[in-house]
Amino acid sequence: MKADQQLNVCEEQVYKRVFNETSKTIFNYIYYKFGNEAKANDAVQEAFVKLWENCAKVAPEKAKSYLYTVANNLYLNVIKAEKVRLKYADATIKTTNESPEFIMEENQFKEKLDNALNGLPENQRTTFLLNRIDGKKYAEIAEMEGVSVKAIEKRMHLALKSLREQIDGI
Amino acid sequence: MQDNYLAKWLNDELTEAELAEFKKSEAYETYQKIKDSSARLESPEFDMDKAWQSIDQTKTVEETKVFILSPFKKFLRVAAVIAVLLASSFFYLSTLNESFTTEYAENKSITLPDASEVILNAESELAFSEKKWDANRNVDLKGEAYFKVAKGKKFTVETSEGLVTVLGTQFNVETRDDYFEVTCFEGLVSVTINGKETKLPAGNSLLSINGNTTMLKTTLNGTPSWLSQESSFKSIPLHYVLDELQRQFNVEVSAKDIDTAQLFTGSFSNKNLDLALKSISVPLQIKFNLDGNKVLFYAEEAP
Repeated sequence: MKADQQLNVCEEQVYKRVFNETSKTIFNYIYYKFGNEAKANDAVQEAFVKLWENCAKVAPEKAKSYLYTVANNLYLNVIKAEKVRLKYADATIKTTNESPEFIMEENQFKEKLDNALNGLPENQRTTFLLNRIDGKKYAEIAEMEGVSVKAIEKRMHLALKSLREQIDGI
Repeated sequence: MQDNYLAKWLNDELTEAELAEFKKSEAYETYQKIKDSSARLESPEFDMDKAWQSIDQTKTVEETKVFILSPFKKFLRVAAVIAVLLASSFFYLSTLNESFTTEYAENKSITLPDASEVILNAESELAFSEKKWDANRNVDLKGEAYFKVAKGKKFTVETSEGLVTVLGTQFNVETRDDYFEVTCFEGLVSVTINGKETKLPAGNSLLSINGNTTMLKTTLNGTPSWLSQESSFKSIPLHYVLDELQRQFNVEVSAKDIDTAQLFTGSFSNKNLDLALKSISVPLQIKFNLDGNKVLFYAEEAP
């Protein structure tokens, strides 16, 4: 693996590995921001083609943050955020012994959460979802957004706070 | 509670005391629900293979494109450098003075931008700025030249010995080592030597040898004799005459046992060397010897 690290991004295998590791995250990242799947797909495409064009200049360990930066800059102030539509993994099937009331309550809560998520500012929603869905650490999100870990914690805190306020109707 | 405790809680970073306190708050229940519910969220489908294929395609297209473009880009780079060099050298050269030189035994006729005429005698140099010509008619002269100046603004001839200023006239200027002669054939010429200005009316010539300035009469409305292939002198030290002979015929002139400071009045042909040598030697009663392009003047042996 160490030898692999030394290899250039121009090497097909290194490039493919970076793609496998990063493409889904980039897609999600842009989707959380703008709620537009087509744009998110385009961003992945654009970022990786740019990476290939500049493969000689980008060190393998810098490839990820290069990709995030390209994807991020692509739609900077260009498109308006749409409604983010997220699915829920069907956990209810495993818990069929739950009462119908509980299931209904659960579904109501999901709806509230959906609405509350779409009401969040773009940067709070992106941070929250990257952490909750993609399991990204605060440090990783900070790298993607180009801000400090402290700033990400602040966003996360504010996101939770306003989600709760929205849901509880405060 | 510490800053951003909700973020810390989500990350399991709260201390036990903090966690206990947080659990007591009425908002805790909702927060816990948000945590659980959001853990089951899923992002939209992302077709990784399809994305890879389309990137792979673009990649190869880009590659060939780059391959075609790069030699052209290189060429463009070189072309740009050449263009810049050409442009800058053009601007540099256009600010330089226009210059004309004549060698031994050579005359040149030059027409200045305002149609004034200059005829350069042998071994002379004339320079002027074509760009600034409209602002000031200014020429630099080394050697000898005859000027036929078109009427207009002040016309200045700069030499190492002095300045000649006119408005529109015909005159001759000659500068050789320590020798400065201005002859005015028409109009009025102003000659400034070492800050001292002398007005020179038509038919006069001003001669300065080693700083001694004398005014001489010459013909009115004429032209300098060298234009008609003749060099004439009026009480000029012999060595200047010999220098002129050397210039006109491109020969090496030397003198032996002769007082070259003696004054010479007369003229010699600029076409026929043999005749010219006789024109000089006979009146001075000296002899000459011509060997190839070397001329030796020597004293006639006492009879």
